[in-house]
Amino acid sequence: MKKISIHILGLVATIMLLTSCHWGGNYKALIVTGQNNHMWETSSPILKQLLEQTGLFKADIVKSPAKGGDMSTFNPEFSKYEVVVLDYNGDSWSEKTKAAFVKYVKDGGGVVVYHAANNAFPEWKEYNEIIGVGGWGNRSEKDGPYFYYSVANNKRNEKLVQDTTKGRGGSHGKQHEFKIKNRVLDHPITKGLPVAWFHGKDELYSELRGPGKNMTILATAYADTLMKGTGRNEPILMTITYGKGRIFQTVLGNADENGGPSMQCVGFITTFQRGAEWAASGEVTQEIPADFPTAVTVSLRPNFSVMTIEDDLAKIAQYDLTKSTKYFVNLQHHMRKEAKTASGFKKFEKMMLVVLEDKAATVEGKKLLLGELSWMGSSESIPVIQKLTENSELKAAAEAALERINTAK
Amino acid sequence: MNTKTNRRDFLRQSAVLTATTVILPTLIPSTALGMGGKLAPSDRILMGAIGTGGQGTNNLRDFLGHSKEIQFVAVCDVDSTHTAKAKGIIDLANNNTDCRTYADYREFLEKEKIDAVSIALPDHWHGLIYTAAANKKLDIYCEKPLARTIHDSQAIVSAVKRNNIVWQTGSWQRSVERFRRAAELAINGRVGKVTRVEVGLPDGIKGIGTPPVIDVPAGLDWETWLGPAPKSPYRGVCHGDWRWMLDYSGGQLTDWAGHHIDIAQWGLGMERSGPVEIVGKGTYPLDGLYNVPFAYDFNCRYANGVEMRVANASALPHRMGVVWYGDKGWVYVDRNREQIFASDPKILEEVIGENEIHLYKSDNHIGNFLECIRSRAETVAPAEIAHRSISVGLLGEIAMTTEQTIKWDPKNEVIIDNPAASRLLSRPYRKPWVELTR
Repeated sequence: MKKISIHILGLVATIMLLTSCHWGGNYKALIVTGQNNHMWETSSPILKQLLEQTGLFKADIVKSPAKGGDMSTFNPEFSKYEVVVLDYNGDSWSEKTKAAFVKYVKDGGGVVVYHAANNAFPEWKEYNEIIGVGGWGNRSEKDGPYFYYSVANNKRNEKLVQDTTKGRGGSHGKQHEFKIKNRVLDHPITKGLPVAWFHGKDELYSELRGPGKNMTILATAYADTLMKGTGRNEPILMTITYGKGRIFQTVLGNADENGGPSMQCVGFITTFQRGAEWAASGEVTQEIPADFPTAVTVSLRPNFSVMTIEDDLAKIAQYDLTKSTKYFVNLQHHMRKEAKTASGFKKFEKMMLVVLEDKAATVEGKKLLLGELSWMGSSESIPVIQKLTENSELKAAAEAALERINTAK
Repeated sequence: MNTKTNRRDFLRQSAVLTATTVILPTLIPSTALGMGGKLAPSDRILMGAIGTGGQGTNNLRDFLGHSKEIQFVAVCDVDSTHTAKAKGIIDLANNNTDCRTYADYREFLEKEKIDAVSIALPDHWHGLIYTAAANKKLDIYCEKPLARTIHDSQAIVSAVKRNNIVWQTGSWQRSVERFRRAAELAINGRVGKVTRVEVGLPDGIKGIGTPPVIDVPAGLDWETWLGPAPKSPYRGVCHGDWRWMLDYSGGQLTDWAGHHIDIAQWGLGMERSGPVEIVGKGTYPLDGLYNVPFAYDFNCRYANGVEMRVANASALPHRMGVVWYGDKGWVYVDRNREQIFASDPKILEEVIGENEIHLYKSDNHIGNFLECIRSRAETVAPAEIAHRSISVGLLGEIAMTTEQTIKWDPKNEVIIDNPAASRLLSRPYRKPWVELTR
């Protein structure tokens, strides 16, 4: 019985998936990696997955020679791409490659500077103008001022500071979960995001400095001194323009094994995906996902994939209140999207009814679906729900659902 | 019943005299009335309380600050530790041991011959108990939000009208000068023509997972606490925590609808009407027993084109409070800031002229209720206004639940062309509780 029902679910879900996703991607992205003091072998494939799951990008990964290798052989064809994602912190590129990159950006190419890429090339002037601010590599006051937001009791009085104090560029305290505050709310990348949101455990890059020309700080995070931070609101997400090029810098995403919470964070994922689209095109067409974190909770996607309806319903069938309600929240989101069209809703209602009739599905899971069907169920739900009134554990919930469906008639 | 009617008539007849005593004590001292500086006990309003947990006890203490005018004689709660505590407070105030205690509100309402009742209960109980008390013709001071569903809220308004009782909702910000002043500046065009309003309410709280099922503590009647809500095993989540579960509440949104949305509509002149279109999005906890949205953000459009955005504080630049934006500036008021803010400080100096709109002035929320019991006038926070305030919160909840644009007819109070969303205007009661009729 269970096998059959899950099989049907799978079929329906596959059809829905095929009709709802667009494949191929309009933009070509190049992820540049191969050397990094971070786990680039882990992070670059994840960045590729994240770009491609938007349906907007087709991404290639290009690896430089290993550290100390012959860099003259490294000549990526930047100009073939709409966006170059830098996951690179290593040996200097050849002058030819550097010049090609600068020309690519000046001519309007998009760039995403990811985490430790802002550590790279401290000596390369144009690169530092492209990334706006960076850290480490003996960066100091000679490279530009510190950029941060001041701290004030009244948040309205927090101001952008360019601080020319002498000192190192780049530091971070202990890794922890921290709150990110959007400073610009009407930029295509941040539009529609909550003003503040919690980020998964990560390094909080601080004391970044650089030329900061044509740079907008979209978001900051307070580097708590309790975590050995600077006590400043440090820049987290930035946009820079260089020539005709658009650059998005995210300091988030210090890769751990399997990416870790810093990369699994839906906030990191979403801002990375939106930032890449903006860098490629100057606009953002992606929706804010239902599981975007809020000012009070972190939200992670452990396997980086967006849950499908099929995944959710299979989880609901095994639902146990004492374990997790997560899949239900996802399911509700799918459900509401589907319910916007009559045909989408009908398909979806059928899928829910399959779970209600599945003897192996849990009472808790069925109760959740009954609650939803009580307001959105059609007459097709009635006979199935009627049957559930014979089940002592589900009687009250089934009767309540029927009452609601019938009073509306 | 007869004795009660007589008592009510007596109060009504002496309304003018006693109201004067309350409002202008320095001009006509009550000694001049031959009462030795005190109202005679027979003049005092006899009161009872239903629900004496946290907020019920706060309200009780506030009432006892008016002990010359009122006397509590009975309390009712499904938790005997609550009734015992409240009885202790009342007996101390009355200097006796006479306060009667009840576990069943029906018995309380049947036996007690009182004038007024203070009610503070979880939202899912409001509909049944507010209407039952109104049908006993008691004057009522009660907690916001008015009800858990718009259907229940409508039934309460009808019951209040039908029984012609005095009603004060605990939307006490209406009795705080700066809220009235800010609303008055807005409604009188001191920021120009108001085009939009932002209402910031508290962020929701993090979940607690799902605690294990445990024994119901001695003294708590869990079955009755649940009442019309779905049956659920006891997991130690009850007093003080019910606000985070949809069966009992809509979370911070519905809790605070009776405060900042209430004030916002006051300043818009919409306190007895409502929006025509509501659309928005909620974010719900991913894990555990708590399932109210902890982030919420919805937009209401009124028939005159004004837009009102209601969201949790973190989503808004000014965080908590109400901002009315007009074509000439803005004015902002909040609970935690002592003063009003405006785009131009001169706005705050503005005098409201004689022929302009002067909003209902009350400087003491409970005092206003007691005055109105004697004068039979309408209070500063009557049932209909509370109904319109929570309707906005509940329509927001429906918009977020359905993720659809809800079209609302504020005159006939129906959702237009959306049978599924319309089902969310009410919810079935668990048997044997019978749903309310309007």
